[in-house]
Parts: sequence; structure tokens; C-alpha cells
Amino acid sequence: MSAIDLSLRGQARAIAAGDADPSELLDEALARIEERNPALNAIVETFPERSREMLAAAPDGRLRGVPVVIKDEWPLPWRAQRFGSAELLQPTAPAESGPYRALRDAGAVIVGVGNMEELGAGSTGAISVYGPARNPWDLDRCPGGSSSGPAASVAARLVGGAVGADGLGSVRYPAAYCGLTGLKPTFARSAMDGHHAAETTTTIVSGPLCVDAADCRLLASALFGEALEEGDASGLRIGVVRDVPSEDVDPEVGDACEGAIEMLRAETGGSIQEVALPELAAATIAAVLISNSDGLAEVRPEQLNRLDPAISLLNRAVLKYRMLIPSVAVSHSHRLRTLARRRLAALFADVDVIAWPTVPAPAPPLEAPLVDLPSGTETADRANVRGGALANLTGTPAISVPVGLSSSGLPIGLQLGAAWGRDELLLDAAEALERANGRRWVDARPPLAETEAAAADGS
Amino acid sequence: MDDAPDRGDEFIASGLASLGIEADETELAVIAGVHKVFAPPIRELVEFDVESVTPEPNLDLSQAPPPEKA
Repeated sequence: MSAIDLSLRGQARAIAAGDADPSELLDEALARIEERNPALNAIVETFPERSREMLAAAPDGRLRGVPVVIKDEWPLPWRAQRFGSAELLQPTAPAESGPYRALRDAGAVIVGVGNMEELGAGSTGAISVYGPARNPWDLDRCPGGSSSGPAASVAARLVGGAVGADGLGSVRYPAAYCGLTGLKPTFARSAMDGHHAAETTTTIVSGPLCVDAADCRLLASALFGEALEEGDASGLRIGVVRDVPSEDVDPEVGDACEGAIEMLRAETGGSIQEVALPELAAATIAAVLISNSDGLAEVRPEQLNRLDPAISLLNRAVLKYRMLIPSVAVSHSHRLRTLARRRLAALFADVDVIAWPTVPAPAPPLEAPLVDLPSGTETADRANVRGGALANLTGTPAISVPVGLSSSGLPIGLQLGAAWGRDELLLDAAEALERANGRRWVDARPPLAETEAAAADGS
Repeated sequence: MDDAPDRGDEFIASGLASLGIEADETELAVIAGVHKVFAPPIRELVEFDVESVTPEPNLDLSQAPPPEKA
């Protein structure tokens, strides 16, 4: 088996044991990108000399010599972030961002910058200054956003892991669309400095996108700067919310997630109980408004009068419209945040995790990102945010895990949320689910990524 | 924040103008579309009763909220 086809941890182990040459692995990753990326548009820039310099200077960390991709959301010492856009309202410059330093200090080698949804403003990945990334499971489908390129890179096995960012679900949506495991950490637990909104955001975090939970644990440990120890998910108390995110979903998604929740319960010897979040709908719009108003004080009207015309018409409109968000709505949003946080704190005394589908339907077509739900046809963005925003509003961690394929061969994701600081429990639960289903879904590969040596390297 | 169909365009155009923000007809049409998406849930949010919710002091999103004072 070629080392590039090993899992992220498999690559790290092989290098540490002397079974793989990191220089050869880097060359393999670059060759893989050259081979597969033209169809995907997942990677928007490579820089082989910089990557070789990182490798030459790599310390003996937990990811020494392992190639990874980073989203176009953080500056690198040799490259300013573009945020998937022709222009940002904030100044940018090449710099050492927190995720870059975390990766460097862990010995990882950044081989490319991942594509993303323009301005991080969508859940599908359909709009980008680079053109959209494509879903490896179906190149005509959305890869999910806004961390579209990182997700597509891992799903297509260009690399074993990638760093995304999640401000309203932007790690979890692409994880679900691309059949990956994606962790949105507890707020402020993962490296975030250097982001152009780091000083103002109350929703965005960096997070890993990997094939499975063990790889996510490894990459998250680098981003957190601490080892995320394996724990025990036995006796897991699972809360199920009977509300829009679990009810107004594609039947195949609903069935797969229901089945996975029951498998998780059985595997952990746990229990399932229904829980109520009566303010969920209000919390969703509250999260959207807070996300769109954090940092708004830094925007000057004259900036909006000379926006780069290469920014999509939709996002030019949103940039201007958000200046009209009523202050009473923002004020209500902050109270809703308090209410939702208190509700979750009480709820997590009774259950360990809450579960619902990450997204209500599999990846929609790129040319028309709409989803058909029991309530009717809806834009994917509006439908997805109903299940994704709560964790960002409240600061809690959440993870998306693959739990099936639709009849059209597209991945289905289940989201688990937990209390503040219980990121490790989410990884434990995800691993329990992998055991329960025999790793069927984490080991599934899109046709584009099938190789003779496609078999996983196990734990 | 009037979302009535016949007043929305007026609200958007005059609101942007009051801030010195320019928008051509195409942009105004798209912004009106955005407004139609945002306005109903914003109205529901504003109608949501949060009067009794005391704002969380020293918000720390990395932690659970402190217990409410009686």
C-alpha cells in the first residue's frame, strides 16, 4: 500500500517507525493532488518548496512529516488568506496563524490550501472566487461549505486530514456531504488566532476534517495543543430532539440517523430519551444574526460602495443587507444565546449527547443547491443551518459522523453535540459508532478515490 | 423592519441611503430577496419572550453558563 493511502495516524506511525519516508510521502501527496485535483478543484494552491521547508524543519511532533491541507481562511507565513473571495473587508497579509503554528509545531507539512465558500457565507460550497470545489462522491454535487476544499481533499484521499473552520456549521456540513468525520470544537479550545475575525467572532472555531474519529482526535490534539485522550462512552445517555432538524428531513436521512442512534445506544449499553429545545428555531436565527453582526462595527459604509465586482452578487447583497439588521433583533439574539446556553446546561445534566441529522438531505446539485424535504423544496443553506447553528451560538462542541449512503450513493451524516469541554466524549461516541457498524461508513470511499490498496489500515 | 411586500423595497433603499451605502437596481432586487428570507424569522425572534432572561455576565463561550442568581 502506498503511504498516502494510509490513514492520517497510519502515516504518522509509519514515519515514526521508519517504515515511510516523509519526503516520498510529500511527493506522493503532491502527485495525488496533481492527478485528482483538476476534477475536484479542492486545492486552490500548492507550494512544494514551502512544504519541503516545513518538512526539513519539522519537529518530532505527533504529526511529523504528515501532509495536511488547510482552509483558505487563515494566513500562512507565505500567503494571505483569501476567504474564497475576491476581497475581504478586513486587512489581510501573510502571517503565522494559530492553526499554522499548531500544525508546524506538531511536525505536519501543509501541502495545499483548500477551497472554500465565498466569505464563508454558505453551507454548500457552491460559490467561490476559485470556482466551486466538487464532491468526490458525485462531481456534480455540492461538497458542503464553507470548508468545501478541505472536505473534498480528504474524501478524495489527497491527504489524510485537513483543517477547516466552523462558524455556523462549516466543518460539519461538508463532513456530512463528503462522508467524513468533522469536529466543531468547544469555542476557543482550538487554535484560532490570526484569523481576520479572531478578535470579534463569538462563533468561529478551527476544526479537523478526517476520515474517522481516531484521525480527528489526532489532528484535533494538534489544534488544541493537548492530547485528547481516549475515554469510555459506555452507558451513553443520548438525547433526541423531536423538532425540525430531526423531523423535516429526507426519509433516507431520517432512517439512517435513527438506525445509527439505536446502534450507538446498543454499542455503549446506553439509553435514549427525548429532550426538548423549544427555543431552537429562534436560536437558529439568533446565531445567524450574531454571526453576521460580530465585527460589524469595523465595516465602513464606503467600503461597501467599492466592493470588488468579482464578489458574487448574492454576497454583495448580503454584505449590504446586514447593515440593516435591527438592533432589537441583535439584542434579542444575545438574550436567546443566554437562554439556549442555560437550556443546554440543564439538558446536559440529563443526557451526555444530543443527536440529529447533520444535514436534512444528501448533497444537492451544484447548479441548483436545493433540497426536497417533507415540508417542500428549500434552499440547502436555509435547511442546513437549522441543525448546525446551535453549537456555534452556545459554544458547545459537535461532531458529524458518517452513518450511511443514500440510494443515489451520497453520504449521510449524524450530528452529536455535547456539553462544553466534552469534545473527547464526542470522539469516543463516534468511535463507538464506528465499532457498531463495523467501520462500514468511515471506510467507504468515493469511486474517484478507489485504488488497488483501498483497504483501510485499521486502527 | 417592515417586511410587507410593498414597503420592503422602500425600507431597504432608504435604510441603505441613510447609511450612505449605494446599491444599483440589481443589487436592490437581490437585497429584497435576502430580506424576504430573513424578515419572517427575525420577526419571530423579536416576538420571542426573552424579557425574563437576564443577560449572562462576563460571557465565556468556552464554559457552561454560571448558575442563575435567585
